[in-house]
This record gives sequence, C-alpha cells and structure tokens, in this order.
Amino acid sequence: MAAEGFELGLNSFGEVATDHGRVLSDAETVRLIVDEARLAESVGLDVFSVGEHYREGHNDSATPVLLAAMATATERIRLGTSVTVLSTNDPVRLYHEFATLDAVSNGRAQLVLGRASATESFPLFGYDLADYERLFEEKLDLFVRLQRDEEVTWSGTVRSPLVAQRLHPRMPAGGIPTWIGVGGSPNSVIRAARYGLPLMLAIIGGRPQRFAGHVDLYHRALEQFGHPVQPIGQHSLGLVADTDEEAAETWWRYWQPVVARTAEERQFYKPDRKRYEAELDRGALFVGSPETVAQKIATMVRDLRLSRFDLKYDIMHLPREARARTIELLGSEVAPRVRELLAKEPTHV
Amino acid sequence: MSDLEFGLDTFGDVPEDDSGKLVSYAAAIRQVVDEAVLADELGVDVIALGEHHRPEYSVSTPETVLAGIAGRTSRIRLASGVTVLSSDDPVRVFQRFATVDALSNGRAEVILGRGSFTESFPLFGYDLRDYDVLFEEKIELFVKLLDEKPVTWSGTVRAPLEQADVFPKTESGRLSTWVGVGGSPQSVVRTAQYGLPLMLAIIGGAPERFAPYIDLYRRAADQLGTTAHPVGMHSPGFIADTDEAAKELYWPYYRVMRDRIGALRGWPPVRRAEFDAEVEHGSLYIGSPETVARRVARAIRSLGVGRFDLIYTAGAQPVSARMRAVELYGSKVIPMVRDILAS
Repeated sequence: MAAEGFELGLNSFGEVATDHGRVLSDAETVRLIVDEARLAESVGLDVFSVGEHYREGHNDSATPVLLAAMATATERIRLGTSVTVLSTNDPVRLYHEFATLDAVSNGRAQLVLGRASATESFPLFGYDLADYERLFEEKLDLFVRLQRDEEVTWSGTVRSPLVAQRLHPRMPAGGIPTWIGVGGSPNSVIRAARYGLPLMLAIIGGRPQRFAGHVDLYHRALEQFGHPVQPIGQHSLGLVADTDEEAAETWWRYWQPVVARTAEERQFYKPDRKRYEAELDRGALFVGSPETVAQKIATMVRDLRLSRFDLKYDIMHLPREARARTIELLGSEVAPRVRELLAKEPTHV
Repeated sequence: MSDLEFGLDTFGDVPEDDSGKLVSYAAAIRQVVDEAVLADELGVDVIALGEHHRPEYSVSTPETVLAGIAGRTSRIRLASGVTVLSSDDPVRVFQRFATVDALSNGRAEVILGRGSFTESFPLFGYDLRDYDVLFEEKIELFVKLLDEKPVTWSGTVRAPLEQADVFPKTESGRLSTWVGVGGSPQSVVRTAQYGLPLMLAIIGGAPERFAPYIDLYRRAADQLGTTAHPVGMHSPGFIADTDEAAKELYWPYYRVMRDRIGALRGWPPVRRAEFDAEVEHGSLYIGSPETVARRVARAIRSLGVGRFDLIYTAGAQPVSARMRAVELYGSKVIPMVRDILAS
C-alpha cells in the first residue's frame, strides 16, 4: 500500500465518558462525540465512524443522526459507520438516511455494513436470531441495488417487495462508499468479494496476522468474481498516550471491567494481566506511545495489505481527557509516522 | 400574547435556482439547513420538517436534517411536521429524536401524525387497511417510551417489548411531543387522552371552521382529566415585498404541485379564482408582510391558538424567493402579528 493512499480513522461506539470521575449523561456524551469528530478533523484524520448499539452506556442508537450533526460541525473529514447493523434495519430507510447525510455533508458519507457481534437489536426490533444469515444476505442484496439502480423491483422474504420503486432524495450515481465488516467468517469475506465491496476486518482480540488467510481469500474471490481490487481496512481497539506505561495503565483500568462483562455474556476470553500484555505486544490492542502504535499499525498494514486502519478509541467511562489525547496523538504523531514507515518500506500490493 | 410561538414548516420541496433549473436533492436539503439557520438568527421559534416519500420533496428523514441544523443554530426548536408514525417504528423514532435532543441541547420536538400522503405505506410494507390500528398502537407505545423507563408492551403492529430500556435518555427526562391532526375528531380526542399538545393542519378553507376541534380538544381533556395544552395551527403561505409579487411567485408553482397531488386524489384542476379566494379569506397566508401579519393575527385571535406554523414552500419556488420569505417572516411578520395582538 502506498503511504499516500493510506487512511487513518477513528471509531466511536457512543460510550459514556467521565470527567474528573463524574459520569457524563447520555446527552453530554452525544455532544462530546461531535466535539471529538471536530477534533479528529482538526488533527488531520481521514474518517470518523460511529457504531450502532442498543444498550446502556452506548449512545449510538441513531447513527445517521449523530453523523449529520458532525457533518455541519466539520468540512473535510469523511463520516461513516462501524458497523451499521443491516440485518435489523430497513434498507429503504437506511438509504434515505445516508442519502440525507451525504447531502448534509457535501458528499462525505460512507458506511460499513455488518451483522453485528452484539445481538440486542434483534429482540428490540422483532427479528429472530435464527434468521441471522438470511436477513443480512437479502438486505445486502436490496441495499446494493438501491444504491446502484435508480429504479428497483425487488422481492424477498425479509421485507415487503418493491415494484419499480425510486427513492428520494437520491444518492449520487452509483451510491456512496459501502464496506462490508467481517468478524472472522470466511463466508462474509466471500460475500463482500461477490458484491465487489471493500472489506473491513474487525480484529478485537488475538494475533491480527491470523486474518492473513482471509485477506488472501478475499483477493482470490474478487478475482474469480471478476471484480477489480478493493481496499481492505482494519478496525481495532486502542489508546495513545505520551508513554507506553501510561497508555497501558489507563487502558487496563477501563478495558478490564468491560471485557470481564463480555466474557460472562458471550464466552469472550477472560481478561488477565498476562493475556493483556500479550495483546499489547503481539495482539489486537493498539495501546501505547505514538511510536509504539505507529510501528504496530505499519506492521499490520504490511502483513494484511491494508489501506485503512480505524482505531476504536472510546471505552466505557474512559476520561474525556484520555479520549482527546488519543485523538490528538493519533492525528499529529501516529499518522505522519505510519506514513513515514510505509514510505520507507512499502508493501507490494 | 407574549407566549405566542411562531414556526416555519417545510417538506424540503426541491426548488428552482435563479435560472429556473431544479436543484439537486442534496442542494435542496442544504437549502433547508440554510433557511433554518436564517430563521434561528431572526428569532423564529421552531423549524418543522415533514417526512415525505415523493419526488417533489427532499426530506424523507427529518431527524437527519434536523441534526445537521442543530450544530449551526442555537435557539430555534427542531421539529418534525409530521413524523409518519404509522409506517415507522416508535422505538427508532424515540432514539432518533432523543439524539437530536442531545445534539441541540434539548431543542428537539416530535410531531406525530398519520400523514396525509400514503406513499410510506407500500414503501415500508404496511397495509392501508391498518391505517387506524397502526397509529393507535404505535402512539400508545411511543407515549410509554416518553417516560424513559424500561417498557413492556405488546400489540399487533410490531414485536412485543419486555422491560426494554431505550437509549439515549434525554436531559429533561421528557421529549417534547405533539400530535398533528388534519380533521379527524377521533384524533383530537386521542391527543387529549394522552395529554399531548395538538397541532392542527389547516390547509384549506376558513380557519374558523376548525374552532370546534379546539373546543373538542379542551372538553375532552377536561373530561378525561388530562392537560389541555395551547393548540398550534399549521397553514401554507408565502411572503414577498408586495401582495402582487408574493402571489405571482407562489401561484405557478403551487398550481403545478396542487394539480399533481389533486390528480392522485380525484380533485379537478385548481382555478385561479379559487386560489385568490383562499388568499383573500381562506388558508393561504400569501402577500406582503403587512397582509400576512393581519391575516395570521386574525386567525390566531379567532381560534385562540398559541402557535402558528407557516408552511413556506409549495412546489419549486426559487431559492432566492424562499430565502426572502423566511427573512420577511422572521423580521417583519412575527413582530407585526405580536403588535396587532397586543393592541
């Protein structure tokens, strides 16, 4: 990947921050995230993306609405999602929302579609987890057609049919950049390739290099489906602070309880200090000084042939100062250093 | 009459630019944002955006546009006008508006309605035969969500909820919520039953004929033991420097729009004489600031409403004329109406 084409972005899951120990309200957190998007732009980052969750402490349930506020607060940074839970959304409503966001932002809207690893949206919106696969498959088919064709006739099992339907407002011809987010399923990788859509790898634990097989699979599948080469991105969690020690201590304090809870809820690994340190050294946590994080991102870019890396910087109750510092350092120090490293030793994609 | 409030409403009609060419949908949406920013600067109380799914209109998701407006304004309230609740999901509507409320420091306002257009029904897979039950059940659920506590609900129009907690929570603890009614007495009584404020869509004929609805709303609230809030009215109009200019800017575009919609509803083509009569003593508030102020003041006085929202777009009126209409409404019409009513 050429250094100049590389994109560095931020992800937020709308997680509640603290301010000198005080837990911010939901509304304060919503406004904080808009400020953080503005900060991300001011330090030169390329993309700001918001997730979609339906649980206490997360304030990203109306992703396009949040992004639209960022649109008028910024001028240049691209605005996306990480991920939009397509399975429990209506592709038509989603099309309207992102066409509107694209208008409000003067063409800066994009999104990553996924099936989500959290499943709260299924019961909340009346979907059956047994239909997990079919919901995504059919809705992706419809959403891609709505973007690519002006007039769509469609029928399936997961929503009502459309007959010669045109949607208003229209997106620009061909739609907006739409990525497929995958957590590790080879079928999802092949599906992204089948549609010729770029691939976002969600790597939230373990050695990221184990995704190299998925990268190969994706490239081979794209070729077999007759599509041109598409970008690959990586989404991982992390924090940047002035020193490795400070970063490691701060992140541990807020990450440990979250992972402990996730471990109970869905058989995620239990957080212990040894495992944590392994994640920092060779795993999927991008926690450290600017130099450490830059080296690690550059390695990932080479090993997985990435053209985009998104750092998820918010985690429950992380102080707002630590969040802001991550954004500042990512833009002002990590980004130029990654580009420098990649220019010195480019990969051969 | 200092509590009186004034709003501007639009469906984001796609306008012409000054060379007579229709602008893109994206530009039409940004135009609405610019108009809201101007309205905010001029002290207009509310901007309300209506959800539509027709080629003439650019606003299909009011909240997304309102969020864009939130960051560029500081005082104006941000409303829908209306949110077609029947073909939407109450949980999602709550989440979207609670987010707008957070973004705008508490300025969000939902106006729920059944919609006078029906495009959203086939688009989202709803059956028009369920028109009543859809709204009835969904407003029931929405009102429960307004308490911002875990909700248990079951009905026929969506999946049941069992102690479902919905986020984000608002800072005030309650999202400002109105019900928009076009002329159904049942809807008026239902609004009173939930203790929600009533917005009357008065889009034709003499406004006075809506007085019985306001009376019904107050009597129903009284009998049901709920609060009767100040009633709002929402009517179309346009303002230019002179009566003649306003009418000539409005009429050709209004006629195209009115006949297109009329064709769908079995109405005969609109005649100029009908238009002139509506402007004279019906529900088109069109003219110079003085003329419009006089007519708005009369309507407010005769109906005793607490809020007047002007739908300032009807078809492809050019961008510059729209901006001028917004400017005259905020800078001239509103202060004049206040003066008239104070005297």
